[in-house]
Amino acid sequence: MMVFWLILALLTIAASLAVLLPLARPPRSHAPAAAHDLEVYRDQLAEIGRDRQRGLIGESEAEEARAEIGRRMIKLEATRIAAAPRTSMLVPIVTACSVLGVPLLSWGVYTAIGSPDLPAQPLAQRLEKDPRDNTLDELVARAESHIRANPQDGRGWNVLAPIYLRMNRSGDAAVAYRNAIRLLGSDPARETGLGEALFAEAGGIVTKEAADAFRRALAAGGDINPKARFYLATAQAQDGRLEDAITALTSLQNDLPQSSPWRGVIGEALARAQAELGTPAPVAGGPSRDDVEAAAQMNAEDRAAMIETMVASLDQRLRDNPADAEGWRRLVRSYSVLGRKDDARQALERGLKALGPESEAGQELRDFAGTLGLGAVE
Amino acid sequence: MTETGHFALVLAFALSLVQVALPLLGARTGDARLMAVGRPVAITCFAMTALAFAALVSAYMLSDFSVVNVFENSHSQKPMLYKITGTWGNHEGSMLLWVLILTLFGALVAAFGRNLPATLQATVLSVQGMVGVAFFLFILMTSNPFARLSPAPIEGRDLNPILQDVGLAIHPPLLYLGYVGFSICFSFAVAALIEGRIDAAWARWVRPWTLVAWIFLTGGIAMGSFWAYYELGWGGFWFWDPVENASFMPWLAGTALLHSAIVMEKRGALKIWTLLLSILAFSLSLLGTFLVRSGVLTSVHAFASDPSRGVFILAILVFFIGGALALFAWRAQALAPGGLFHPISREGALVLNNLFLSTATATVLVGTLYPLAIEAVTGDKISVGEPFFNLTFGPVFAVLLVAVPFGPLLAWKRGDVLAVAQRLSVAFALAALAGILALLFLDKNAALAALGVGLAFWLIFGALTDLAMRAGIGKVAPKAALRRLMGLPRSAHGTALAHLGLGLSTLGVIAVVTLQTETILTMKPGETVDVAGYTLRFEALNPHRGPNYTEDQGVFPVFDADGSQIATIISSKRLYTARRMPTTEAGIETLILSQLYVSLGDETDDGGIVVRIWWKPLVTLIWLGALVMMIGGTLSLADRRLRVGAPARPKKAGHAAATT
Repeated sequence: MMVFWLILALLTIAASLAVLLPLARPPRSHAPAAAHDLEVYRDQLAEIGRDRQRGLIGESEAEEARAEIGRRMIKLEATRIAAAPRTSMLVPIVTACSVLGVPLLSWGVYTAIGSPDLPAQPLAQRLEKDPRDNTLDELVARAESHIRANPQDGRGWNVLAPIYLRMNRSGDAAVAYRNAIRLLGSDPARETGLGEALFAEAGGIVTKEAADAFRRALAAGGDINPKARFYLATAQAQDGRLEDAITALTSLQNDLPQSSPWRGVIGEALARAQAELGTPAPVAGGPSRDDVEAAAQMNAEDRAAMIETMVASLDQRLRDNPADAEGWRRLVRSYSVLGRKDDARQALERGLKALGPESEAGQELRDFAGTLGLGAVE
Repeated sequence: MTETGHFALVLAFALSLVQVALPLLGARTGDARLMAVGRPVAITCFAMTALAFAALVSAYMLSDFSVVNVFENSHSQKPMLYKITGTWGNHEGSMLLWVLILTLFGALVAAFGRNLPATLQATVLSVQGMVGVAFFLFILMTSNPFARLSPAPIEGRDLNPILQDVGLAIHPPLLYLGYVGFSICFSFAVAALIEGRIDAAWARWVRPWTLVAWIFLTGGIAMGSFWAYYELGWGGFWFWDPVENASFMPWLAGTALLHSAIVMEKRGALKIWTLLLSILAFSLSLLGTFLVRSGVLTSVHAFASDPSRGVFILAILVFFIGGALALFAWRAQALAPGGLFHPISREGALVLNNLFLSTATATVLVGTLYPLAIEAVTGDKISVGEPFFNLTFGPVFAVLLVAVPFGPLLAWKRGDVLAVAQRLSVAFALAALAGILALLFLDKNAALAALGVGLAFWLIFGALTDLAMRAGIGKVAPKAALRRLMGLPRSAHGTALAHLGLGLSTLGVIAVVTLQTETILTMKPGETVDVAGYTLRFEALNPHRGPNYTEDQGVFPVFDADGSQIATIISSKRLYTARRMPTTEAGIETLILSQLYVSLGDETDDGGIVVRIWWKPLVTLIWLGALVMMIGGTLSLADRRLRVGAPARPKKAGHAAATT
């Protein structure tokens, strides 16, 4: 920083000297302009002589040109009066202003519009500093510059791919997954990631390409891989094969341990699929396997009663413990699925109040309600 | 470095204020010390601006995205050349280049103007400083390239893909050297008006600056035209687009200035007119800057349209053009008028040249501003395009071209048209022959094309006749003639070459406009098409990956009439990844002076692709001609002689002297 101010000071001194030095020097006498003209005419005469010698012009041409220049010289004599320097009050004032003005104005303007405390930040330097000081963006850019230099580094692609996915750079993520698969071989995690990236790139549609990736992930075996199965079921739902989707989701739900974080999402998808088919969903939040099995054996009336009970218990729980965004979503959806629109709207309002209408969770709840066809609450 | 550059820019602004005040005050009061301040200040001002420019270029090279300008116009993955050229591929950076060149010219006057009278030099530097102050203020207040961003983004928004081309390295610097070069002529003219006298050597001092500006402007316009030709994908070389006109008008006025300055230098005539042209040439440059930079026009050149900038430039425009013209109206009467001459003479021919060039400039000005005025007044958008210019500019320029070969052959003071016509008879016969051959062998119905070809050859042979006559070919022994040809002043060679170049460009334009063919068809891989005696086969569409784009390359082998392959044209469609912007990269193959131009359109459902193929006969001559003009200008610039017009007709010498 010191060096920076020193450079600025030196520049200022250099600029001030450019103004000061000529002022400090004794004035050189300068010839009046008419003297310059005379000099030019003399040069022109000499030029004619040279041209004549080289044979470029004839003697009479040269004579005529000399005569013309001679006439110009005579005309000039009449105006040859050297103007005496005039004195003006302005001179000392303007001079003083100029000498002072250069440092004052430059420092004044620069302080007003410059950013002296902001050092230059060349990209290469930013990427070379201690990784702990890097922001996430910078870390990614570092990895990118590394991978650009070593495009055959499969591990690099493998690390970068899920980060891209999280940063919503799905196109880059798909490229990274593809490269990782090409260089390191197919494995369930990479294929699943590729499918997910393609799903995001397509704006939430499981394309054929994405479905193929999920299938490859499942074919490779290994653990249950709920993600791949879930997306494949989603693909079925998106194709309109709702029964298949419900079957797939139900079987997935059954395969998952009770503590799996996937259960909530799957329950929601199941509810959506069933709502589309016209059968009310067994409300998530906990219908255990026993509940579901029990519900399957009940008649329609009993099943409805059981669901009502579960919804009521959820409702009560949220009254006691309102800071549960997920719970509010479930409640709103349940009422909506049961066809009790007013209750759904009421639940939405209560939820918004509890979470704070402007909070992120409140916003999400409102968006979610929007997807169920519940208008925003004023 | 960045902030040092910012400070240097502010310092350059402060210095340019001093450059305005002290030298002018010194010149008016006859104070030699104050006048002496001008030179070191002008040079230091340039050094500071250069430092600021270097700082910005380095920020681009290092991808310093903490600089807003770099963030908005660069990308870390861009090739280094485009990182550097991207510095002036945007509004702020290009304005910085503008003042860099402005201060460069000021510094050159300071460094090489020792032979100038002290008061004239001081006044010129002061006027140059005024232009500088206006533009420094404009940059610092509305378009600061050193605005910063914190925290800095990690990646830039990339440069408009159309501008990612070698053309950006050449076109704007050349054009600006031309535009801004006229500022020196302007400063000399205003200084003469302020001083109230025109020095004997005024025209001689202004001439090199005019020539330099003219050479660069010629190059800049030609490069811009060539760039548009190969980049925009439909093979046009001139669109009468307002932005092009904005650069063409100063060129026309500058060409007129170049010729009137010759009269002034050699004969001391046309002084006041030359002053006016000097003012107009730079005024038109300023107008061009205003039109392009204010957002009044939308085009690839309008990087940013911010109304405050437009108003600011308009104010600059009004101040300098209005001020200079007012000064002209007030002081021009006081200046001593120049010598007299006979209407039929070299001077007369140059006056004719000036009349036609001024009229041509006026037609372009009307064609450019009229639609803008209509839009401002009634809100209607009208388009004044090629038909208007063909009807107005075309005939004026055609007559001018017919007259060009006469000028250099006419004697100073009084000439003899019949004698000149006699000397030009060979050139005329050859040109007529060329026209007839064109009619017979190329197209029997194209009378206009034949006339045009004849006109072009008339210019070419006319220029050669000029040299032949001066060398005395046919009159003296070939050896002596050759020696005389070599011994001719460089400005004579320069004139002939510049006129020859004009002929070549005309030939290129005429050939392309009247004889080009266009073929549009859908091609599938393996299909062939015949164009102008060549056969093109569409081989395949291959994907390809560049540093910051992906593209599909269409591969077209070219076969001649015998069926042997002579070239492979690759034409592609690109997608620049950062801006998700598609561009077409035309495939061009030069066959002698003509070109095959292939551009890809959309793909069709059945696996084909729309292909446009143009045959552009002699198209390269358009730009080669400009190159020859530039060489001619450079030769003329190298002529360091004092030029005094010696009347050429010795027999009537006594009579001539009496009438002057």
